[in-house]
Order: sequence, then structure tokens, then C-alpha cells
Amino acid sequence: MASTAAGERKASAPLSRSIRGATPRIQDLGSTPESPRTPPLLRSTSSLFGSPGAFRNNEDEYIVFELGARFLRGGFPGESSPRCTLPFGPEEQRRVGDFRQWDPDYSHKRRKRKRGQDWGQDHELYRMDLTEVDLGLVEDKLERAMREAYNKYFLLDPKPRRILLTLPPRIPHALLSTMLEVLFENFQAPTITLLSSPVLSAVGAGLRSALVVDIGWAETIITGVCEYREVSEARTIRAGKLLSEEMARLLNAGLEDEVEQGAPKPEISFEEANEVLTRVGWCKSKPKSGRSTLYFPARTSPILEEFEDAVEVPEPTITIPFPKNDPPTELSVPLVDLAKPAETVLFAPGTALSEFDNDELPLHHLIYRTLLSLPMDVRRLCMSRIVITGGVSNLPGLKTRILAELEALIQQRGWDPVRSYGSASARHDAILRQRKEDLEIRLEEADDKVSESLDPDSPPPPLSAGLQQPEEDAIDVKLAHLTLRNGPPPTSSIGGVIRGVETLGAWAGASLVAQLRIKGIVEIERERFLQYGLQGANREKEVSVVPQRQSMGPGVGRGAGERASWTLGVWA
Amino acid sequence: MAQSFPYTYYSCDCYDSKAATVAAKRASAQLQPEEDEEGRTFDPRNPRSNYSLYPLEHLLYCQDCQQVRCPRCVIEETLNWFCPSCLFEVPSSVVKSDGNRCTRNCYNCPVCTSPMNVSSLEDPNDPSTSGGPWILSCPYCRWSTLETRIEFEKHTAITAQLSRIANGGKPILTAKERDKDREKRMEQDKRKSRDILSGSEDSPTGDQQKSDEVPSHDELFSNLAAFYKSQLAAQTPSNPFSPHDINFSSPSSFSRIMNLYSTTTSKKQKREKPTPMRETASTLEGLTIHDPSTDAAAIERIRKDGWSSTLSPTQKLAQPNPNIRFSSELRPVAALLCTKRGKRCRNCRHILSKPESKITSTRYKIKLLALNHIPRLSLRALEPPAAPGTPAPPPFDYSALKSGIPQHFVLQLANPLFDPIRVTLATPSTTPGKVQSRVTILCPQFEVGANTDVWDDALSSSVSPVKSGGASSSIEAGKIWDRGRNWTSVVIEVVPGFLRDLLAKEGEGEELDEDEDVLEIPVFVRLQWEADVNAEERGLGDSMGKKGEREKREEAFWTVVGVGRIVRL
Repeated sequence: MASTAAGERKASAPLSRSIRGATPRIQDLGSTPESPRTPPLLRSTSSLFGSPGAFRNNEDEYIVFELGARFLRGGFPGESSPRCTLPFGPEEQRRVGDFRQWDPDYSHKRRKRKRGQDWGQDHELYRMDLTEVDLGLVEDKLERAMREAYNKYFLLDPKPRRILLTLPPRIPHALLSTMLEVLFENFQAPTITLLSSPVLSAVGAGLRSALVVDIGWAETIITGVCEYREVSEARTIRAGKLLSEEMARLLNAGLEDEVEQGAPKPEISFEEANEVLTRVGWCKSKPKSGRSTLYFPARTSPILEEFEDAVEVPEPTITIPFPKNDPPTELSVPLVDLAKPAETVLFAPGTALSEFDNDELPLHHLIYRTLLSLPMDVRRLCMSRIVITGGVSNLPGLKTRILAELEALIQQRGWDPVRSYGSASARHDAILRQRKEDLEIRLEEADDKVSESLDPDSPPPPLSAGLQQPEEDAIDVKLAHLTLRNGPPPTSSIGGVIRGVETLGAWAGASLVAQLRIKGIVEIERERFLQYGLQGANREKEVSVVPQRQSMGPGVGRGAGERASWTLGVWA
Repeated sequence: MAQSFPYTYYSCDCYDSKAATVAAKRASAQLQPEEDEEGRTFDPRNPRSNYSLYPLEHLLYCQDCQQVRCPRCVIEETLNWFCPSCLFEVPSSVVKSDGNRCTRNCYNCPVCTSPMNVSSLEDPNDPSTSGGPWILSCPYCRWSTLETRIEFEKHTAITAQLSRIANGGKPILTAKERDKDREKRMEQDKRKSRDILSGSEDSPTGDQQKSDEVPSHDELFSNLAAFYKSQLAAQTPSNPFSPHDINFSSPSSFSRIMNLYSTTTSKKQKREKPTPMRETASTLEGLTIHDPSTDAAAIERIRKDGWSSTLSPTQKLAQPNPNIRFSSELRPVAALLCTKRGKRCRNCRHILSKPESKITSTRYKIKLLALNHIPRLSLRALEPPAAPGTPAPPPFDYSALKSGIPQHFVLQLANPLFDPIRVTLATPSTTPGKVQSRVTILCPQFEVGANTDVWDDALSSSVSPVKSGGASSSIEAGKIWDRGRNWTSVVIEVVPGFLRDLLAKEGEGEELDEDEDVLEIPVFVRLQWEADVNAEERGLGDSMGKKGEREKREEAFWTVVGVGRIVRL
């Protein structure tokens, strides 16, 4: 036992192991509540034979990576932010010994987009369309970024560490295989655990169910997560790439006004557009004022009124320097204009819904549709746990706007999958109006639910029988009190209203998961992967990862984490 | 490229050889079968070649595998850690506990990254005993911690002080204090909600959130971590099988252990299902409800303070917490520790380089450089000799090659080996890429002498310099240009391609990409020589007798010679 104590001391504060022994798996927490208390029996037997489990300290050290299309985040479990965030920009792709980026002249030159290259293509690690991707190049880029992370930021001793890799829930197998190969072969990871980023975003928000809206680089992925499982997914290309391209267009137009006739048209680089977008880009928090009367019946907070209605004199402008322009210049852009790209790209107002292709629905419509497609009970949970994350979500005002638009849509349409009733629309309108009234009344009730239940004498509202409060039962009231006192607080079971929840991000979620020593469904072992590749995975999506209790006798030799077969889970 | 012309890059084929083995190992090769390596010419324009080309100085050589080793095909192991700014060695235990940054006074400016100084704000009229208050200030861009209203009481242990002060001067709680504080407030909340249940009219989660300010990222994270921990602990109440608190005297765990051996009964006694872990319910547990007012505040701030108050992407990424937006949120960045690393060959695990462990020493214990095993290729322009009497012509301008005009260059191979080598050079007749230049190596096969003692050159009479024939006369196919003790040079004729053709083809408005006007020649080098068997073991008495035994060795690799930049006519 002495060595156990030593092991405990060694485990420093950020990696404390208060719950050693319990290795619940993240998805099991939701579906099979039994598993959190499933202790690894094998561990206990080994301790019975007198060898305390101190070796776990080494075996279980993790490195947490989040791999996006444009950034690699890496760090250690238990830390609130990653040790490094590495971009895949063109400066990172130079030859060794090419130091031109440090040349003072070079920083004043504008980089041109290469022929035949998409907007921002040289800033991305991969794209989903593999016909345009050189997997070897992905491997090279990833390897270099990983090497930088290990050698410059992690500064580890050569001991191999497990890797917890956070990936979007759908990724082509060839790409996945390439990534895993790099990690296994070049960085000697004994095992890699894959976790899907929407689930981790939910973990990072402290939620079990959520509607995760990840506004990323190439596409926005909306994932319904229920009890730590992905239950539905929708995508749209309205995301960071289009947004920065639109911002570039706006700035180009602004710069064009300044150059005299005949001079070549200015074409600003991706870096410049991106910088403007991240620095001073914003999004109007409310839809156009014309519609707001229809959408917002008194329940919104009166903020930012001045931005849409009262036109300020003088109109506020932002002065943006362009040192890379030839000649270096400054451009004054009205503040209102800087909100336009987000408006047009993400919400596309003024375009009929029927004109959008399947993959380019505006965000709020897609969120609404995803919610609509969810089963009612899941929808109830998800709609009040909307987690907006991803790089673009940092745009000030965007989250508020999405929630407002969504609320407006729901107010307008309700949860009715039928969009047009044709000749029956009059009747439908009547139903809708009725329903809206009911909703308002119910919302009022929801606001003071507790006092309501405490006060059985309140005058019953004039409602139809179906909506009327059932008779108060003294026992029920008592039970309600009990659950309030002993059970979870009421806020943790809220549902049915639109509510946005902030998340610390997928990386922080992964860090939490790794710190709590929760095992993932998808755990890939080095030897097996190197032998068979992804082909070695079990075809079934769901394999039982709960250790079998009965297998005590012969299974003693096996490690607790080892499994007979492995699966790719959501990635299969 | 940015290296000055002319330059030579060496290609390490570690990726290709790895891909081959993987494909062979795996029954179902998903990758499309690549072309035969022999038939492929190296393309320096391919974006991938950026990752396999290295200057010769960056390459190591594994004597056991007899191969070049690039940074990709070595394994690095950290020997020791130190701060590059104060040159203090940091023990590995501290790196583990305190992270990868210097914990002394080494800070970098968050605006311009230059090292910051600790300077005093002492009022000369009213000197304080400690000489303080102190601040960190940047000598280059004049940013100082005063701008975020941080002052220090002492000029030492800045890290410890900084970790306790938030921007604006408010104290930050340490992790322990935070835990205590959280527990206290949770207790308060509980009491409050109990009060509510017993009669008062307030809503249970009402006012406490508003009284708080927005908690920081760190705070939220620790709240969330504490919440999950407490929830998981509640799920596994006694942790009956964890090794450290197994308790045989407790009847419950004893009965469980007994149950293990009686499989018949254990199945039937199903334990009651525990309630699933709940979600977070308050800020103290890590929940943050989206608040429109923070958004509004940020927009208002942009409107008021404009561009200069926001941070550039590089500044953000350098911060410990990259999710910030405004310059008032900047924190000084502690210097990142550096390491001294040994390198091993990935295949055979032999040490390739090992620095001395003393921090201030730049010497190496072991260093197997490719420089000592691979001939060095270098190129220079061949200029017609100036006629006597006339002033010397201006030096050749490598960054202004003229399209269509043949130009001769001298390619020189210097042999670092102690045996003479036979060299075969090969190059595609036109360079790959948009601008196609024609290249001819006039003498692709030749020999290079051994790297013998420097004095051999002077003493031996057998080496007869060809030079005597005069420069311009001997540009002739099949003949070397010049030869020395351990070097040989040959002439290359290059006809730089036309930029104009390309532009005409692509139409107006199309311009060349960056570096497409650079003339780079891929050259395949093949070496053959005879070396002593086990040359490295020659000192052993055993092999003395067999000294005469020789073996044939061969080496082949691609190099890329950067000649210059083609200018538009």
C-alpha cells in the first residue's frame, strides 16, 4: 500500500485521481446507468494478490488532441485550455531552412491565391471531398504539426502516451486511417481513443443532451445529442469559409473605390480577410426591425435597439489598416457593413426557402428542421440546450441572433412539419392562433411554476379541459417537494423553451473526459491497427464495452481496458 | 526560394519507403498503387516535396542503416529542459507539475513577443521600502502591465504574483481557495432553496446568478470538473473494488467478494439501478446560459474602441487562453521552455545525435551528420573570363536569369568519404512546373577522389589538374570541367524557360504563383564506391587480418538545385 500512496502523491494536482477504479464510459452514462459503478474487477484481484495498481499512473497518461479542418489543439487532461493551437497555414508548409516569413519585406507583401485553389484552401488540413485531397499531403501536414506540438509545447519524456482524439462525427475512412497512422507510427501512441466533438461540446457545457451547432470552417454541423449519443445530424455549407470569402468581397469593394481608374483591382488575401473577420466582424443581434413586431411579442430584452432603428449621426465607422496593400492604406468601413457578411452568409434573408439547395440552408432553418425531426421528448430536451460552438460562433452577436431567429421561427410555425396547407390554410391559421395563445399562457405559468404548485388556490385559467391543471393532490405536492429537495435541481431538467448554453468547447470537454478517466467506445490499439488498419474494426456500431462480470477466471491475465474486438462507433 | 541562390536541397525518401512497407504489410492496400519508384522523377513543385526536402546541414546519417535520416525519420528524446531566457535548467518533475513555461521572471510581450523587463514605478519623491510597485514592461513596443492594471509588490517571483492577479487588479483565487469558496456558496444555495421550499416566494435559482460577474474560463472549467467528479463519486458510493480502500471488515464489500465465488446467486440479486448522473444546474456547477448582454457589450466595445482594441490572430494564439478578443484581456506570456534532445534512428534505434547535458554548452557527444557521408553538391555560374585589362564584369545575378539564353553552370561534387566514388547524375531534360527550362548535364558520369589528407593534394604528383586547358575551351560533352583532391565539377547547360508563353496561354490577368519563376533542377545522384567491411570496427584486433576485404556500396537520392529566378523579358 505504501507504493500506492507514493503513486497518489506523484499524481499532481491537475491530474488527481479521486475516482480511480471507476472507469465509466461516456455513452454508458446515458444508456446503461449501471456501468458507472462497474468497477474493473481485474484491478481489484491484482490488488488482492498484493500488487497495488500503481502502474496505472503511467499506463493512463493521456494527451488530448482536437483535430479540425484548420487547427490542431493539443494539451493535457485536466487543463482548462489547450497547450497549443496550431494552424495549418502556408507559413507552416514551407521547406526547412526557408525563412522568408521573417523577412521584414515579406510581411508587407500580399500573398496571392494560387491558381486553381479554392478560397483558403492552403489553410486547411483536409476537406471532406477526398477527390480534391492528397492524403499524403494531409499526412505530411499533420505530422509536422504534431511534431511541433510534441517538441515545442508538450516537452514530454519519451514515454509513450495514450491519445484522446476529438474528431467530427463523420469523417471519411481514408482520412481517418491516415490520421491514425501518423499518430501510431510517428508518435508511438499505445492506444487512441476517438471521441466525437459534439458529444464533447455537450460535456464541456455540463449537459447530457444538447443540440450542438458547430459553425466550423467548411460546413456547419448541427448534431442532436441525447444522453451523450448523437441522434441526428444535419449539415450546411454556410460556415466560416463562405463568411470570410464574403468579407473579402466587402473589403475588396471598399478598396476598389479608393484606387484610381486603370490600376489593377485590389484582391485582398485570405489572411487579411480573416483578420478583419475575427477582429471586428459582428452580427446583428436581432432580425430586421420590420419583422420584429411579428416575431417578438414582448418577451425579448430591449437591447441594441440603436443599431437598427435609430440611425446614428455620425454613422460609426471602423478604420481598418491594410499594410499589405500597395500602397499601404487604411479603409474606413461603416460598422453596420461589417455585420453584413454574417447576415447574408449565415441567414440569407430575402431569399425564399425554396431556392436553397439541400446543403445550403440558412442556419436557423436548419436548426429548426433538425429540431423538428427529433422525437418530441428529445426535442424538448434539445431545444432548451442549444450549444453554439465552433470558430465562427465567437462573432459577437451571432449566438443571440441564431437563438432569436429560431425562436421567431418556432413562434411562427410551431412544431408542424407541414409548411403549406394550401386551401386549408385558413383553418390551420385559426388553429395556430389558438395554439399561440395557449403557449403564451403556458409560458406565463412556466415562469412561476414553483409558486403555482405551492399555491393551489390560484384561480384556474380559462382553458380547455386538456390544458387545465389537474386537481392538486396533497401527496403529489409533497412528492414534488421531496424531489426538489433531494433530486436534481429544477434547472437541470428544464425543457421546452429555447435556451442557449455556452460551452467551454470540445477540447475542454475532452480534457474533462480524460481527467475523469472515462473510456470511450472507440478505442484503437496500436498493434491491431498496424496489423489490419481500419479493416480490423468490428462492423457493428454498438459493441458491449461493459466488462463482463462472469469472465473472472480466465480473463485475469487481460488488462481491464483490453477488448476482444474494437469498433469504430459513429465513425463506422 | 528565400535561401540565397544558388542552393541545394536533399530529399529524404523516408515517406516513400514507409508507404511501400505499409502497403506490402497490409493485405488490402487502400492507396492506389503508386508508380514504380524508378520511373518517377522528383517534382520540387509538388506541395509534398516541401516536407521531404532539407538542406544538407539539417540531415543526419545512420551508419547502421546506411541511410540519411531527416527530422521525420528520427525519434527524439528529451534530455533536459531549460528556459531560453534565463538559461535555468528545469527538472522534469517541475515540467510535469508547472507546465511548459518558465516560472521565474521570464515573460514575453503579448503584443510584439519581445522579452519584457521588470521595472519599478517608484515615485522618487516618496520612495517605498521595497522599491515597488513593479510592472512588466516591453522595451520594444512599450506595452506594459499597467495597461491591464497589474502591479506587483515584489520584483521577484513574478509568476506567483501574476497568477494571483486578474487583469484590472482583482485577485484570482487559487485552485484550493476556489474549491473552498465553491463549497461554501453551494452550501448557501442549498440553504436558500430549502428556505424557499419551506415557504418563501422567491424562485429557487433566481438572484444568485445575477450577483455574480461572468466567471472566467478557468473558473468555469474547474467548476465543471468538480461537478463531474462529485457526480461520479455519488454514483460509485464506496468504490468497493478500488485497490486503495478495499475494506474487508465492511460487511457489504465482504459479501460482494463472496458473491464472486458463488455465481448462482449473484445474478439474481440485481442491485437497484442508480439514478443517472444529472446535468449541471448552476454556474457553480459550470453551467452558463447564453447571455445576450455579453454579445451586446462586445459589439459596443468594437464600435467605441475600433480596430486597435482588438487582437490579431497571432496575438490570440500566443495567449494561454486563446478565446479572448480585446487588448484589455492580454496577459504577459511566460517564456516557453526549450529542451535539449537526443535523436535516434527510427529503424534501428541507434543514437544519431546527443548534445552535452550542460545547458550552456553547445557541444555534442554524438553527432552523425549527413555532411560527413553524403557528397555536397554546389552550383555556380560559369562566367567567361574577363579579358586582361578590362574591368571585371559585375558578379552574376542569379535572381535575373534571362529566358531563352543558354547559360553554363558548374556543378561541383565534394566527397566527404575516405574512398573514391563513382557518381552518376541524372536530370529530366525539362524542369517540371509551369516554366519549363531545358537542362543538360554535359558529363553525367564521373569519379570523385577520396577525402584523403589535405597534404596529399600538395605532395602527390599523380593528380593532374585538368584546369590547365583553360576554362572556356573545354566545355565539351563527356568531359569533366575540373577536378581536385576530393572534388570534381561538371558543366550544366541551362536554357531558362519563358514566362511569357505561360501568360499568353493562360490569358490576361493570370499571374504566376509565388516562386513559379524560380528555376529549380531536380538532380538524381547515384554513388558507387568500395568501402572496407565494417569500417567502423577497424580498430578491433579481430578484423585486422581481413583489412583488405572490401564491399561495394551504393547510395542514391534526389537533390534539388535552385539556380535562380527567371525574369520577364
